[in-house]
Amino acid sequence: MALGLFSRNKDSASSQAITADRPYIPAEKVKLTGDPLRQALQTRRFGRILQGRRQWADHPDFKKTYDAASQALDECFALVPEGFVSIAMSIFDQPGSPEKDSETEPFLLARHAVTNAEYQLFVDAGAYEDLELWPEEIWPHLIDFKDGTGESGPRFWQGGRHHRDLASHPVVGISFYEAAAYADWAGYRLPTEVEWQMAAGWRIRSSAHVHRRYPWGDALNLNCCNIWASGHGGTLPVNACPDGAAPNGVLQLIGNVWEWTAADFEAVDRDGRQVVGETLLKVIRGGAYDTYFPWQAVSAFRSGLGCVARAHNVGFRCAMNLPQD
Amino acid sequence: MSKTVDASPKYAPCLICESTNAPDAILCKQCSAPMALVHEAHAQEREPRMVSILGDSNVGKTVYLGFLLDMLSQRANDFEAVPRGAYSVDLQQIVISHMAYRMFPPKTPMETDEWNWTYYQVCKRGSSPKWVDLVMPDVAGEAIAAEVASPSTFRIIQNLLQKSSGLLLLVDAALAANGSAQPDFFALKMMSYIDTMFACKRGKRISMPVAIVLTKADYCPECFDSPRRFAEANLNRLWNVCESRFSKVEFFASSVVGSLAYATAGDNDVVTPVPLHTALRGVLEPFEWMVAQL
Repeated sequence: MALGLFSRNKDSASSQAITADRPYIPAEKVKLTGDPLRQALQTRRFGRILQGRRQWADHPDFKKTYDAASQALDECFALVPEGFVSIAMSIFDQPGSPEKDSETEPFLLARHAVTNAEYQLFVDAGAYEDLELWPEEIWPHLIDFKDGTGESGPRFWQGGRHHRDLASHPVVGISFYEAAAYADWAGYRLPTEVEWQMAAGWRIRSSAHVHRRYPWGDALNLNCCNIWASGHGGTLPVNACPDGAAPNGVLQLIGNVWEWTAADFEAVDRDGRQVVGETLLKVIRGGAYDTYFPWQAVSAFRSGLGCVARAHNVGFRCAMNLPQD
Repeated sequence: MSKTVDASPKYAPCLICESTNAPDAILCKQCSAPMALVHEAHAQEREPRMVSILGDSNVGKTVYLGFLLDMLSQRANDFEAVPRGAYSVDLQQIVISHMAYRMFPPKTPMETDEWNWTYYQVCKRGSSPKWVDLVMPDVAGEAIAAEVASPSTFRIIQNLLQKSSGLLLLVDAALAANGSAQPDFFALKMMSYIDTMFACKRGKRISMPVAIVLTKADYCPECFDSPRRFAEANLNRLWNVCESRFSKVEFFASSVVGSLAYATAGDNDVVTPVPLHTALRGVLEPFEWMVAQL
């Protein structure tokens, strides 16, 4: 029996869940070079190269590699200007509900979520075995961060490899800690919650103080995002829905996959009671391809997820501070 | 096959229990099923098929049925569904309006006259479109448990099952995964009740299609990988009775809540579950399978 999970229509081929009617085709292995600097470029750790001036200054290829990393960073990241953000502190987002206002500094945000192919480099480089990348409190849980066959990697992979057809799709099935470890390994970080909302709501410093409901404007346009009502029934490649880009070209802040942020989820209910999870909740933003209510996929909507949950519809994107020079 | 209904009844026999009622009755005097079901069936000139959605208390019947109907109303998976009568929309509206505000809908009351009934015309599009008239009530879990424990306590449930063309049995996968035997025992009792009701001989298996829907599967993602394997491991009693007594059984994993949190003011406070966001998974598939069996 062929069942399309979550699908509104029959176009469910892009779902990352393994179904009986879709054989798993593992991605081919890429041989990594042994030279640390060249490997950093090969594995797209551009942030690390820029930070490693002192470490690699004597390397014969440093200047060339540094320039290549700078150029790649320009292509992969976009500037989010300084601005204002109001974060709803109640889970009932009604007028008059408590909000927390923040100002944000300019920063760089990845134009798209981290893909399966990019995350594969992290896995292949042995990052799951590198304890320096993981906070000590999570070490006992590292043995749980396995794929469907017991290899280190995202939950829906098999044999430590992503599905060949999903190379350009956002990686899912990763916990908050895996997302944070990847960002650290690559020389970046996860965006804070206010940074994420600034990028999606685009409330730049101006006299207008306009907050956008969506990165592309205020009206829902199903061609601009991948939510349940869009009818795709699964994740799309990270460069899909170009019409939904933010003014700076950042894609898919709304829909496709929820995105981990660095923030703890703090909120109260209608009666002022704390909302907590069974484990520490981290803020996720943006909604996903299976988000049923369109108003749960807007720039100001907050949700939380247990920090070790490895959901089928949650991925992440990287951020970084502006380079000093 | 659907039967033709007498187009001009002097008396209105209840669609569920067949008791005779006055033509202007609103609810059946015997079982409290809405007489609008009968009037609609007369208007359609055919008897609708019924699909029962049963399960233990707190398994998620109301939420499942509400989202199923809402998805069908939005033409999900080549389905088209039209509610027959405004009363059919009530359940869907209650569920959606609560979940949108991150609240679970209130518990279905025990009183049969307060149950929500739905009558939908459902079309599965394709090369040969298939129309099915479906009646699906939202039955209180406590009433089901009482009827199963002591048959004829809620006779409407027995009547409903006898009239049903198929059964969606909802089982709490989260509880089962946490080691509780309660979901397994409840499901076993339910299947045993049906087995007894149809009074099949020992060697003969019951042909009524049964979809076992493992709800709250977001708690135990392995359930989605293989619902059958999950049931075999965690609901072994149910698994065995299905294997030995029912000829058309399929297992499905389903979840509606993307992330569950709890509102609490302290140690002594009542903890209220909060669905932080909604992410539908595996809601339509059991129904799709059921329609294919009808």
